[in-house]
Amino acid sequence: MADVSPSKSLIKGVIKLTLFLGVGFAVLFILNKVLSAPTEDGYRFFPVIGSRVWVWIIAQLHLNFAAFVLGVPIFAVSMEFMSWRRNDERLDRIAYDFTKLFTLAYTLTAAVGTILMISLPVLYPKFIDHLMKILGPTWWVYVLVMYIETLVCYYYFYSWKQMKGSKKGTHVAIGGLLNIMGITMLLITSSWVGYMTTPNPHGVSETGELINRWQAIKSYMWIPLSLHRLFANVVFGAGIAAAYAAYRFITAETDEQRAYYDWMGYTSAMISIGFSLILPGIGYLLGVEIYSFNEQMGIQLMGGFFAWLWVMQAILIGAILMFVNYYLWISLNKMPGGERYFKYVKYLFIVNLLGYAVWLTPHSIALSLEEARRMGAYHPVLGSLGVMASKNTAVVVSYMATFLSFTIFKISNKEPIVSWAKLGHTIRAAVIVLSTAAAIAIGIYSYMVTSAVRVKVLSPIQFGIFFLSIIILFVLDTMMYKGAIVIGEPRWGKMPERSQYALIGITVTFTWLMAMMGYMRSGGRQFWHVYGIVKDTSPDAYLPTHGYAAVVSSIVTVIFFALIGLLFWSIMKLEKVADKGGAQT
Amino acid sequence: MMKIYPIIAAIGLLITVVSVLKKSPFFNFLGLLTLIYGLLKSVGLITAPFPAQVMTMYMAMSVFSLFIYFSIQESTFEALLEPVRAVLADDNKRILRVLIVFIALPLFAGYLTFDKVKPNYEPPVSARIVHPEPVSSIEFRGKPITIIGLENPLRKDAANMAGNLEAGKKIYYQNCFYCHGDDLDGRGHLALGFNPVPPPFRGTDTIAQLPESFVFWRIAKGWRGLPAGSTPWNSAMPSFEDLLTEDEIWKVTLFIYEATGNKPRS
Repeated sequence: MADVSPSKSLIKGVIKLTLFLGVGFAVLFILNKVLSAPTEDGYRFFPVIGSRVWVWIIAQLHLNFAAFVLGVPIFAVSMEFMSWRRNDERLDRIAYDFTKLFTLAYTLTAAVGTILMISLPVLYPKFIDHLMKILGPTWWVYVLVMYIETLVCYYYFYSWKQMKGSKKGTHVAIGGLLNIMGITMLLITSSWVGYMTTPNPHGVSETGELINRWQAIKSYMWIPLSLHRLFANVVFGAGIAAAYAAYRFITAETDEQRAYYDWMGYTSAMISIGFSLILPGIGYLLGVEIYSFNEQMGIQLMGGFFAWLWVMQAILIGAILMFVNYYLWISLNKMPGGERYFKYVKYLFIVNLLGYAVWLTPHSIALSLEEARRMGAYHPVLGSLGVMASKNTAVVVSYMATFLSFTIFKISNKEPIVSWAKLGHTIRAAVIVLSTAAAIAIGIYSYMVTSAVRVKVLSPIQFGIFFLSIIILFVLDTMMYKGAIVIGEPRWGKMPERSQYALIGITVTFTWLMAMMGYMRSGGRQFWHVYGIVKDTSPDAYLPTHGYAAVVSSIVTVIFFALIGLLFWSIMKLEKVADKGGAQT
Repeated sequence: MMKIYPIIAAIGLLITVVSVLKKSPFFNFLGLLTLIYGLLKSVGLITAPFPAQVMTMYMAMSVFSLFIYFSIQESTFEALLEPVRAVLADDNKRILRVLIVFIALPLFAGYLTFDKVKPNYEPPVSARIVHPEPVSSIEFRGKPITIIGLENPLRKDAANMAGNLEAGKKIYYQNCFYCHGDDLDGRGHLALGFNPVPPPFRGTDTIAQLPESFVFWRIAKGWRGLPAGSTPWNSAMPSFEDLLTEDEIWKVTLFIYEATGNKPRS
């Protein structure tokens, strides 16, 4: 499917993007002429579901696709880089498959983006006028970067086969440029969201007058949000790739295909989970910035109305961790020697189950009058488990158990040959026991200190111990298993189908989580388009119930996966055409 | 009624042990679920029982997680599904199938329907929001006070600390202890007249989580001053603005932190 010449692909890219923009502007122009004038407050109303829900769905869908096409190139290029350095054809193939995925996804991203580009100015003209007044020039930079990115993307994909061998380095560099463009896009769009939620008082006055454009771009949330999105996009993109591999595994017709897609699914899932370890830390940073901007918004999001969504988040993250562990445990079946480690699985399961229970225990509980009477202000047990001291501990211990599941999978088919192997096993056990004991001790001690000490000192130490431990374990195992005897190669493809559903489960849960947390971040503005500056005076200026928000988020997730299914189907169809010798896209 | 739960837990344990000996993952699964249910419900014998919402969450999590655990190895997974498949397809299990489909399931559906539609005179379950977001500023007896970043001015007055604490104690027992209790544990003699009951000041999850400015605002404005977002609020806290001076509110705030060994959040 990549038989189009690189130069022709560039023309194709320019035409496609110009077409989308042209159609977008033309429809916008026509709608503005045809539709009745906006209300005095500056609104038009979308039929049946209302403007808010329409924009909500389209914006979230666009964000999902954008996350995908920004996240996947990062690890596709990383894979290509590794394949180039190690001269590994299999890595090159997986990188190419990922590239195929995101190149096709660009079209869907642009299509949904065009609908959003039309919807916002038509339905919210006054607000968009304000946004253009403050951040207008960034929009034009965005369009420029979008053109460059699309051209680079098309060139990168369509030049793959021509730029093998001596030109591989240049091809990897083009991939690097693609990622730079992607990150620039992310910075620009995050500046818009950052401005709406945490506007910088040095950038814009309370009455909405521009003071300094750079300061308006540089809102409190800008960098933490960009970082959070950057890493979350890799997690998400890798998750979608894992789901794709899982789908291909389930529908595979040969053992060779099954083996390849099993490996692809494993690689993608591990990248996804590996990057997700960083997210709580960056999320913490984002929370700090929100609190610094406005304490009310911070409390509303963390402990007030939105506290209930954190319980939902806990349920979903706990499920993801369970799915990940399940996938790794089930993978032991395909490792020669893996059966030796099954005896540890039940302990890891118990640790994960207890961690999950603590992690999802709510602090705010829905109560009947009778229950409230019996319980008092806080439940004696749940009250202690519902606070951050116990939750941080639970998540650290669960992540440690997950890391151990990964470790036993990795070492299960190997026997170390180094003379100090016994000592190495002892050190590993000591690191695990001591770090877990330290995390639990810090968790208990956290109840006895002021919240400032807990937030600023103990929690970072707790996470620090966890990260330090996994680095030590990683380095130790790398040294210990260098040149190890391999009992047998992994039997790639020898996995039951249900393991693949776990991979799909991880990705669906991630997407659901993104939709719900995205709603929460946006809902933090309450009845403001731009917090404290441009009031939302539409009939939708209220916070919907969590049930309603969960339904909308779920619908977005279903639509997204329907479109992703379409994408997967298109790729498979194109491959079949290519196999038959057609090969033109 | 409560005493039945340890028996349920014991039955669950028995099923688990026997199923392990008999190597039956299906009954092991059911036994463990029964054991977990019995143990969680037995908490009510020692302290306040877990609310229904939490029970539902824990049990759903247990079903999900146990299903994960029992499907790791092919042989266990097959053995787990075997009784289900047998009931659905085995000709020898026809009577059991008929019993389940035509008796047990309709009865269960009927019970659920009855439980849903039967008259209920209890007030509806309420979802409580623990921390309202503080306001930026308030007007206290006509004087504007910025709440965000506000600190207790009496903390700097070390020389008069003992006197201020003593005054705070007096104010507390004249105004607050009726609801918040003479031991500041939220169990005053009027406490059970309210829903939710007043929060305790002891422990680490109420005032220890808050800056003093928050406590000042809550005492000054009471439920009337709660923010417009997240309404309706469930609070009976009176507004003390008309009863206490600014200085008196700071004194009583100082006292409740001191008396409970808590430190305000900075």
